[in-house]
Amino acid sequence: MPKTITEHNLRLLIDSLLKDRFRVVGPRLAGAMALYEPLAKGEELVLDQLPRRSAKEVFFPVCENILSFERTEAGLQVTDVDLSAMSETVLVGVRPCDAAAVPVLDEVFSWDYKDEFFLERRRKTTIIGMACTKSDDACFCSAVGLSPGETKGSDLFLTPLLGGGYGCQVLTDKGQQLLARYPKLFVDTVDARLAPLAGGTGDRLDLKRIKAWLDDNFESPLWNDIAERCAGCGACAFLCPACHCFDINDEGTTELGHRRKHWDACGFGKFTNHASGHNPRDLQNKRYRNRIMHKFKYYDDKFGQTLCTGCGRCIRHCPVGIDIAAILREIESRSQ
Amino acid sequence: MNKSAQKLDVTPLVDESYCAAATQAIRCEATRLLTEGTVAAVIGYQAGRRKGTAMPTIVSSPEKAAELIFSSACVNNLALYLTKAKKEVRGKGRLAIVAKGCDMRALAGLIAESQVKRDELVIIGVACAGVYASGADRAAPLTNATIARKCRECVVHLPEGADLLAGSLPQQPMLTPLESQELARLEALTPAGRWAFWKEHFSRCVRCMACRQVCPFCYCEQCLCDRNRPQALESTPRPAGNMAWHIVRAMHLAGRCAGCAECERVCPMDIPLNLLNRKMAKELKELYGYEAGLQPQEKGPLAEYKDTDDQSFIK
Repeated sequence: MPKTITEHNLRLLIDSLLKDRFRVVGPRLAGAMALYEPLAKGEELVLDQLPRRSAKEVFFPVCENILSFERTEAGLQVTDVDLSAMSETVLVGVRPCDAAAVPVLDEVFSWDYKDEFFLERRRKTTIIGMACTKSDDACFCSAVGLSPGETKGSDLFLTPLLGGGYGCQVLTDKGQQLLARYPKLFVDTVDARLAPLAGGTGDRLDLKRIKAWLDDNFESPLWNDIAERCAGCGACAFLCPACHCFDINDEGTTELGHRRKHWDACGFGKFTNHASGHNPRDLQNKRYRNRIMHKFKYYDDKFGQTLCTGCGRCIRHCPVGIDIAAILREIESRSQ
Repeated sequence: MNKSAQKLDVTPLVDESYCAAATQAIRCEATRLLTEGTVAAVIGYQAGRRKGTAMPTIVSSPEKAAELIFSSACVNNLALYLTKAKKEVRGKGRLAIVAKGCDMRALAGLIAESQVKRDELVIIGVACAGVYASGADRAAPLTNATIARKCRECVVHLPEGADLLAGSLPQQPMLTPLESQELARLEALTPAGRWAFWKEHFSRCVRCMACRQVCPFCYCEQCLCDRNRPQALESTPRPAGNMAWHIVRAMHLAGRCAGCAECERVCPMDIPLNLLNRKMAKELKELYGYEAGLQPQEKGPLAEYKDTDDQSFIK
């Protein structure tokens, strides 16, 4: 029999988790927008907005210390971060485009180098995904092979029901454990009818053909046509659920300081600037080309996955109106 | 909300046919300039895929000139593309640019700072009733509810000093000056109150640098905030470095910022940066009777020294 949960009980679930010392992160109002932030009570959960930033920051924060150093009389002391202190976390109300990006990121963070900062948070987090019943004209999850009801990446998945509440789908052991921990909050419902999911999330793109075109068109006038207008900021990469480049900086003094890992973006002019002064991506078109190549060719070459989940954030917030969905259609048409 | 306010929110501010006329005039002029070879490229706007959106475009052939448009979605300040941050565009040769009244002020500033030569530039001025606010419903017309905050207090609907004026406009209504009101509210706070206000906003900054990258006056090839040997300010997105960066940005633009508010429009974290710009502009006006971007030949008060300058601040 299918499990369901009322909205009231969903908020109660958050309160119960908080009481049981879990860290609960979910969409929360920050001014007029929502962000995935730690919730202090169930009431704070925002259910009708796609957060401005993606959920990647729960695993891969905007900035984090990866070690500290201090010069003492005994010499230079280097202190590692205590990963065991990271909290057990439940990430709730995650949109399908954000949840689906997490297993995509698993690939790169557990590849040749195991990024324990990412992986430890990943191990300790349970993801409660939530289907979308509305979309806008920047959404294009269906175009990249996902959908407003996509369960990829979720441990437990909620789909809004007609008349309120959510149908619950258990997808992993973690999801099952969460459900089993609070059995009273979930009820069996015989006649649960799912609300219609969001439409208009884009016709399916032929990603194979797009990749084939990219394989052959490292040099193409298209890159310049697109990137001439690019202002070279990091808004697209920083809002993206799948972009994962970071920089490492030592900050503080020679006596006391921290080594910090923080988001970086291939759109920045200095991203590939060598110590010699040489910059292989000296022009914006080469930087923008890398953005597309990485998402739709290199990541596929390496991990067999696409580094884009169609959330549309980069489209909504590009200062100069660059529209990656339109670019993909253009590439698809060129690959005919 | 009372009934008259609700009515104001749905009444279009202007008959949008003025956009069609402006579009036509821009296309004609661009076609002529490109056909005659007067310019190598025209920097203007083209429609985006999504309804009610537009984006910057750089048009190099007369055929492509037919794609140029003007509408309330033409939010960008295109002066950005004339700076040395955009070498690819400058390298094309002589340029023409579409400029709203607020963009003209940035052009005047760039000319004054010797970044652009007026006689090498063709300026297609465009009559502008205002543009959409970020996040406004683009399916709706431009109304009191959808207009950008900066446009509510616009005094340059008709640009001055352009080579041509595309479109025309009736007298524009006065709208409630929300930005001035917000600035006055902040000024009335205690320093601790203002600190708390900015601290909260800057805590969300992710250092995407969109504010810097769209600013026509942030054209330095080596930005102070990117320096790491030695580091001038913390470049990581943390509260201390964020605060430092936004103070640096405001200070470096004092007396130069022409008020286009692009930094605020593009901020993905909704930080109201133009309040800082406005405050700096106000200080400059009070101290030196100076307003940036009114006349290109003017040298800013912070860029020159006079014996008679007020020095009472030196303690």
